[in-house]
Amino acid sequence: MNRRTFLQFATATPLLGASIDTASLPKYRIVTRPEDETARSSGKNVPGLPGLYPGRYVRVHSEKAVDGQANSVNASAVSEMLSAGMRTLTGVSNDRDAWAQFISPHDVVGIKVNCSGAPKINSNPELVAAIISNLMSLDVPAHNIYIYDRFQNQMRIVDFGPHVPAGVQTAAAEDRRGSILGYDPYTYVEVDFFGEDDTRSNLIRLVAEKFTKVINVPTMKEHRAAGVTGCLKNLGYGNFSNVARSHRSEKTNTYSFIGTLDSVSTLRSKTVLNIADGLRSLWQGGPFLQADKFLFFPKQIVVGTDPVAMDHYLIDMIEAKRREEGAPSLFDRSRSHVRRGPELDPNFNSFIREPGHVEYASHLGLGVYDKSAIKERVIEL
Amino acid sequence: MTFFAGVLLLLPTLFWNQGPQSANTLRQAGIHEIAVPPDLASAWKSVSGFAIQTADPGQLTKLPAPGITIRNRQASATQAPWVVSNGWRLLRQPDGHFYYDAPGAAAALAAAEAFMYNAQAVIHTDEAGLAPLGQMLKFLTTVGPKDLPPKVNIAFVDDGSAASGEFMNLLVRRNLLFKVVKSPDPKADLNVALGEPDYPKSEASNPALLAEKVRANLTDPKRLLRIYGSEVVISRLMGTRDQGRIYLLNYAGSKYPIEGVRVKVLGNYSQPRLENPDASQTDLMDISRKANALEFTVPQLNNFAVVNLTR
Repeated sequence: MNRRTFLQFATATPLLGASIDTASLPKYRIVTRPEDETARSSGKNVPGLPGLYPGRYVRVHSEKAVDGQANSVNASAVSEMLSAGMRTLTGVSNDRDAWAQFISPHDVVGIKVNCSGAPKINSNPELVAAIISNLMSLDVPAHNIYIYDRFQNQMRIVDFGPHVPAGVQTAAAEDRRGSILGYDPYTYVEVDFFGEDDTRSNLIRLVAEKFTKVINVPTMKEHRAAGVTGCLKNLGYGNFSNVARSHRSEKTNTYSFIGTLDSVSTLRSKTVLNIADGLRSLWQGGPFLQADKFLFFPKQIVVGTDPVAMDHYLIDMIEAKRREEGAPSLFDRSRSHVRRGPELDPNFNSFIREPGHVEYASHLGLGVYDKSAIKERVIEL
Repeated sequence: MTFFAGVLLLLPTLFWNQGPQSANTLRQAGIHEIAVPPDLASAWKSVSGFAIQTADPGQLTKLPAPGITIRNRQASATQAPWVVSNGWRLLRQPDGHFYYDAPGAAAALAAAEAFMYNAQAVIHTDEAGLAPLGQMLKFLTTVGPKDLPPKVNIAFVDDGSAASGEFMNLLVRRNLLFKVVKSPDPKADLNVALGEPDYPKSEASNPALLAEKVRANLTDPKRLLRIYGSEVVISRLMGTRDQGRIYLLNYAGSKYPIEGVRVKVLGNYSQPRLENPDASQTDLMDISRKANALEFTVPQLNNFAVVNLTR
């Protein structure tokens, strides 16, 4: 029996085709508000992914950034790292000019954090505070700056409030788990993965209605379904409702769903910066910290506009760590390594991981995957 | 045989097997119509302010209390709660007479469910169930007209078997709107019968799969009603040429209100108006019309809501 077939709209870009078997992928239908569709099709004033610097990113490492034993973050070191990263990415000599390439004083800025592994592995408040300091130096009013994520209960654990100036807003799409009121009913991706009845994943309402810019601040972790969770996954699965339905048994549709969500013009056009928090990381069991033994401390941040190039680096980083630990590759698809349950043994995983979602996103035009076309700058502080 | 002595019950009614000394308890719950066992009828008829029917539970079809069962630890294809719905039973026996045993808040769900399916039913509950039941019954009296016919586009040919019953249960659960027929209806968009090639009896042990096939054969664009944002809401669409009505029943009950239920209904409807038992919210959100469909969001669904539509 065939599943329902939907017309596949915006994801069918000309870049898809030669190397992707689209017939085997779920059929996606992207619906946006008419004004967003008009802006997208006109091509005017639509910045966003892969942004001003496709195929580039800057890695900034500082041994001072994290005290691994105390598991505490050094805020001033992180601020220096961010400054160095932004200036190097933009090629300008001061922070204000660097940030002004992306943000204007009139913007309403959403900072998309990742709180799914809180309290030990999440977007660090020290980094978010440093970002906000730069926004406010551009005269963006505090009340026009939002720190946001999907789930209120996870954000509450991190508690950004004490780290940021008064007036900065924190917001969650789901004050109560399962609520759809924080999502935009007019912007969604429709797809039927497994016969689920609710076939829509809706964009966070604040992104659709209020924000003029989004700064993506993912963590840099292994992810048991997607392989890694970095820029692309934090943006896609972190901005849309009803995404857990994409996994069932060992099968996950993250391969194509993540990039499809990221390609929704409303989100894509507003996302101007990715600042990946690699101060801490996980090499197994992500996105949640299932055992402290999987936590490690890269003590770095990665700054760029191209989420694909940045996530390709993340794959390499996690792969290297897993090799060091003797764990199977993220790309391993052997069923002998699939076992449901907590992922406390690195030789087993609940899902067949889909790190190929990063390359797939490049076929949607979201960034550069080809290593030979990526320029990496590394800064040691 | 008359199972409910007296007039035909237009609304579900409390079945109460306590004597007249409990009258004040019922009054406090706002309940003034009851069905009692025959041996208590004469005693109750002397109590002022009550309309009394008699009912013999032994002659009625027993129904389980509607609700949900969380099944976190049960291996299944989905973590969705199991919904205990009697919709299929009520559709299968449109002339049936039913008896719910529904303690506590489930009494209100039972009343709403029976009302939603135009069923003749009495509801037995405990003292904890009286207040929620009273509130629901009071609300149901305000919903009118009560004789709107159901709108469906699937005809289910019922062979009366248990397997067909479970098949229908899953159709109800998936909000696939059907009527029960004895033979195929050429006017229906889709006719369904267990044993037909698309729905072989060999697959009867997996009614979820059969329901999925029905959905696929009908196709989503032809579904008269879609519910987004909850897996525990069952709905019905009623209507005539000039008006429509949607019933939305949250089987998790008011203990687990749903924040936001998005509804899509096919048809050139307009001016949706929300009514619910606690009248806490009456405004629908994000109403949109396009392509022969109306969409809106119910901001909070406690246990039951009615949305009236006009053309």
